[in-house]
Amino acid sequence: MNGNPSSRDSNATDPDWVDGFLFTGKPADVCLRLPDPVDRGTLHRLVTEAQTRLSAAGLRRGGAVALRLPPSLAYVVNLLATWRSGAQAILLDHRLTDHEADRALRRLTPQVVVAPVRTGGAALRVFVDVTEGFTPYGDHPATSDHAVIQLSSGSTGPSKIIGRTAADLIAEVRRYTQLDGVPLPGERLILLPSMVHVLGLVGGLLYGLHAGVELVPPQRLSGAAVLDAIGAAGSPATVLGVPFHIGLLAATQPDRPLPMFRRMITGGELVSAATARSFTDRFGVPLGNMYGMTEVGVIGTDLYGEHRPRIVPAPGVDVREVAGELRVSCPASPYLGHTDPSRWSAGWLHTRDAGTVDPDSGLVTIRGRLDSQVSVGGMKVDLTEVENTVAELPGVAAAVVVWDDGITAYVQTVGTLAEETLDQQLAERLAGYKRPRTLRLLDQLPRTTTGKLVRSVDMLRTAGTS
Amino acid sequence: MAGQPDLRRVDLVAMLAQLTDRSTNQPERIGSMELAWLVHLVEQRYDRQLDLTDDQLAEIRTVDDALVVFETALAAAADG
Repeated sequence: MNGNPSSRDSNATDPDWVDGFLFTGKPADVCLRLPDPVDRGTLHRLVTEAQTRLSAAGLRRGGAVALRLPPSLAYVVNLLATWRSGAQAILLDHRLTDHEADRALRRLTPQVVVAPVRTGGAALRVFVDVTEGFTPYGDHPATSDHAVIQLSSGSTGPSKIIGRTAADLIAEVRRYTQLDGVPLPGERLILLPSMVHVLGLVGGLLYGLHAGVELVPPQRLSGAAVLDAIGAAGSPATVLGVPFHIGLLAATQPDRPLPMFRRMITGGELVSAATARSFTDRFGVPLGNMYGMTEVGVIGTDLYGEHRPRIVPAPGVDVREVAGELRVSCPASPYLGHTDPSRWSAGWLHTRDAGTVDPDSGLVTIRGRLDSQVSVGGMKVDLTEVENTVAELPGVAAAVVVWDDGITAYVQTVGTLAEETLDQQLAERLAGYKRPRTLRLLDQLPRTTTGKLVRSVDMLRTAGTS
Repeated sequence: MAGQPDLRRVDLVAMLAQLTDRSTNQPERIGSMELAWLVHLVEQRYDRQLDLTDDQLAEIRTVDDALVVFETALAAAADG
């Protein structure tokens, strides 16, 4: 990207960037509060110990580790240990089903899989108590020199497996350091998004470690717990979340003044002006907005909420509009294997977001998706993936999946497929956030005169209720 | 739950409607986000924290499932 990493940063098998870029503070500096403080010295020791366990499980420099862990200290430790071993980290959301994870593992051939053998703690924990296990998987080297591999919904084809180099991650962290409105060294970041995904990973974990910002996951996912985390210390606190978290906070009345509360920043999807107003009225702090993608990280921001719904491109990021679609500067294809030229070409990522760029101010307006991707609580879900999964199930003749205030599947069945059976089969194949909230089983899906499946939500609703 | 009305299915549906800005046709199935929202509002309504485990939440697939788990947790809290 447009940062200035040294040449060694670009080599994923060179582990020096972990100590040289992420472990830069003093050993006694607290980097995590869970709520017990974890200082850099302790974290570094845990990382070193995890390297020994990864090595014993078969990891070699240039190999890959699949991390199938919920947000946890174990996740942080093993991620850093993987990188510090000169290996690639494959991040698998712990909510993926075995079916989804196995497909990714077969393609990405890690040497070791790290997964929980025990999880503890109460429900709705943002950070989970995990005892991890190390399972040897194979002896192949990593499939690319990327430091991190992430899966984007719809990853039935090679173009939806996304890789980012250490240099690219470093460049993104440096972009954060140039933004006005992010937490500063010595301040706290109340971290709600999962660190398996780009916002929590780079905007939370990596930026926090590099900049000396304390990362504070609330004790549980509730408005009161977030406010407790803010008020637990006097140092300035910024909350990082997705729009769902705004609702949690807005539905909670603070029981004391929170003068240390500086700002809330959300990514994932746009926030309505009314929601933003009710939030700022209640808490008296700005509600900032970020726009980014797994492929490139943060693209633009409006951290003071002064340009809503527009955003300012992040330093070093170029955004342009081509035929109504936003394209973002991205020197190398972020996709593993064959790159679909309709997703990336000639140094530009095709975002598939509709939008415009103001020629005078440079402000970017995002107007929604040009494809079938939707956002469920900040998680991107491609409806095509859901539809293909439904259509491939036994007893299903055809399926159409649409967004109708939630993921809704219209299913043409063969024989006597029960809704409960269909639901159970989907639960084995799709992570919970991807599964349809509403299933409508029909003898016949509506079709056009030429036999194509109808995708009009109105017509499907009518067919579903008749 | 002394002095407070019992939790009913219609209450949970109304709570979900606040999340989705949709007053009718709430889907029967709920995901982890809707569940977190329901726990949050039920705890606010009864002014107590529900003593739930991840295993209990993992069993919840529908609004009816959630009602059973919440009623059990509220009764346990009242007894305790």
